[in-house]
Amino acid sequence: MHILICEDSVEGILTGIYRACEWHLEPEDTRIQIGEAGNLQLFAEYHTVEPNAETAGKVIRSIRAKLGDEVAYDLHNAMASADEEKGDAVYHTVVMAYAGKGCSVMNCLQNDYVRKVSELSRNVWCETHHLYGFLRFEELASGVLYASISPKNHILAMLAPHFADRFPLENFVIHDVKRQLYVVHPRKQDWYMIHATEEQNPDAGQQGKNMQLSEREDFIQSLFRHFVSTISIEDRKNTDLQRNLLPLRFRPFMTEFRTTKNENG
Amino acid sequence: MEYLENTSMTIMDKLGILTDAAKYDVACTSSGSERKGSGNGMGNAISAGICHSFSTDGRCISLLKILYTNECIYDCKYCINRRSNDVPRASFTPDEICELTIEFYRRNYIEGLFLSSGILKSPDNTMEQIYTAIFQLRHVYHFEGYIHVKTIPGTSPDIIEQLGLLVDRMSVNLELPTAEGLQKLAPNKHRKNILTPMRQVQNGIARNRNELVLYRHAPQFVPAGQSTQMIIGATGETDYQIVNVAENLYRKFDLKRVFYSAFIHVNQDKDLPTLPGGPPLLREHRLYQADFLMRFYGFRATELLSEDRPNFNVYFDPKADWALRHLEKFPVEINRAPLEMIMRVPGIGVKSARKIVQARRHGNLTFDHLKKIGVVLKRALYFITCSGKMMYPTKLEEDYIARHLLETGERLPFNRDGSTYQQISLFDAGMVAEQPDVFRAI
Repeated sequence: MHILICEDSVEGILTGIYRACEWHLEPEDTRIQIGEAGNLQLFAEYHTVEPNAETAGKVIRSIRAKLGDEVAYDLHNAMASADEEKGDAVYHTVVMAYAGKGCSVMNCLQNDYVRKVSELSRNVWCETHHLYGFLRFEELASGVLYASISPKNHILAMLAPHFADRFPLENFVIHDVKRQLYVVHPRKQDWYMIHATEEQNPDAGQQGKNMQLSEREDFIQSLFRHFVSTISIEDRKNTDLQRNLLPLRFRPFMTEFRTTKNENG
Repeated sequence: MEYLENTSMTIMDKLGILTDAAKYDVACTSSGSERKGSGNGMGNAISAGICHSFSTDGRCISLLKILYTNECIYDCKYCINRRSNDVPRASFTPDEICELTIEFYRRNYIEGLFLSSGILKSPDNTMEQIYTAIFQLRHVYHFEGYIHVKTIPGTSPDIIEQLGLLVDRMSVNLELPTAEGLQKLAPNKHRKNILTPMRQVQNGIARNRNELVLYRHAPQFVPAGQSTQMIIGATGETDYQIVNVAENLYRKFDLKRVFYSAFIHVNQDKDLPTLPGGPPLLREHRLYQADFLMRFYGFRATELLSEDRPNFNVYFDPKADWALRHLEKFPVEINRAPLEMIMRVPGIGVKSARKIVQARRHGNLTFDHLKKIGVVLKRALYFITCSGKMMYPTKLEEDYIARHLLETGERLPFNRDGSTYQQISLFDAGMVAEQPDVFRAI
């Protein structure tokens, strides 16, 4: 048994897949593990794989060309998942595809790995779609729109294009609190992502506490809260249904569920 | 923008009054339009629609759903804004609507605007003001998000034509399933005035489709299509009549959606039924289930109900009910049956059916595979075989299956209490009469 230990990123997993082929490892006898080797297995050979952008690029280009965009999309989504088994599922799905299933690989739901990838991809897509709606911006004194989120999966890069298309004339920042990553979108320019430690950008570098909200922000927020509470029909009250559709974990970041005034203001 | 602050009390009050007055409108979908941002304004549209929040009644909040005004010259008995009601009245100005929409949209609170209205002076007068507001929003504020406007019955065709080029979706409320019901409860509205704009929008969309073939950048007319809604349980129609009306609207008027709204008692009136058990939510739920069966599962209204059986079963959803009456079509062999037949199995939805059909190309499916794929077998197991075998030795008898289905229970989106049932039987009791008349008017 060979176990490749890869970094928890698209790059890391793709490099792992490349190395597995390069070293001619038998797929049945190979696993890709994300992060650190936790429980060491007896008789397994551990290899640590350093992520390499160039190698990963080769793999992704090959996947796109040979398996098509749809498969690439599912694989990419799956790799953004927070699931620990994702590396292995993606690896074996890719192996199956190249071994003959080709672009229809995602239909072989009988296979455990393919099913896993399909589930993860769906899960990641769902969370992305949820946050298209549930993400909330606040206007800072500088006019910049700031949103903080804490998604289970690493979906920041999937949210950014949607909001960049929607608000081309706004300066906005989306902050993934869990991973300390920021998407920064300057007005009329392309967006980019930075890690919290690189304080290159004054807007993004700011920590939550010293952010000044704009003057009218409180007023607009209270308008919205008023709207949300008024729109509900008392005769049809159904908070269970509400909780099913809007899970509690999103609510701490949402304007309408904050009862007190914003602490930062 | 400053102007929002100076009149903060008023805006807050107005928003409260005009949201409260608009909340009984059902449609809050932002689906049907797919549009990238132009790069010079604000907003885009996603064809699947996006829900931005959910209110405590579990309904989606996608659009800023407000009335332009809740003043009204009409006196519809079911409506909270009717002329004879003593409620606080307010009207927005076009600027206020634009400011609110833009400020909410920027913060990602909403997906767009849903603008309905009471009737000031005349339908044309009101629609002209709404047009002004929408025009400003599109061309002064460069808003490119979703806009849904309610058309007031009796509006002149010119205004509809112009407005249709600015909005994503238009809808005229059918209000009540039959013309007789409408006459009784909404004496100022006429069926013909409702169907005429509906037909106009339908023709406009069809014509626009041809224009778009020739000129790719021709302005789009109501790209997200039109919808309508009707109140359920205020008048004595049977479910059979209602699904027939809905089917005709889908087939003859090309509607995107028909919404059903359980009648909620907001006014005291001798012509309105009393609802001791609250709004008929289960009945509304059954109608939506039937609606989906007609739109996505290939069912016809006449398959679901008939003159002799004019109402839905309280205990079984329409699909299970149909299956129980058509046991000769079962069991369905998962590895061979056509997609349409797999979709007709109770418990198997469109997505599961598609997955099954795709996966079986790569090898025989077993019950174990089905479970892993995510097909819920609790109800389906009585109706399917995998490679000729049933999951458990079960009988293909109506009583036997019905008993077991009842035991497994049905997941309903609301609490199932006795009162809801009674409500249905109250209206079921022999209040049948006329045929639906959707197309009679035109």
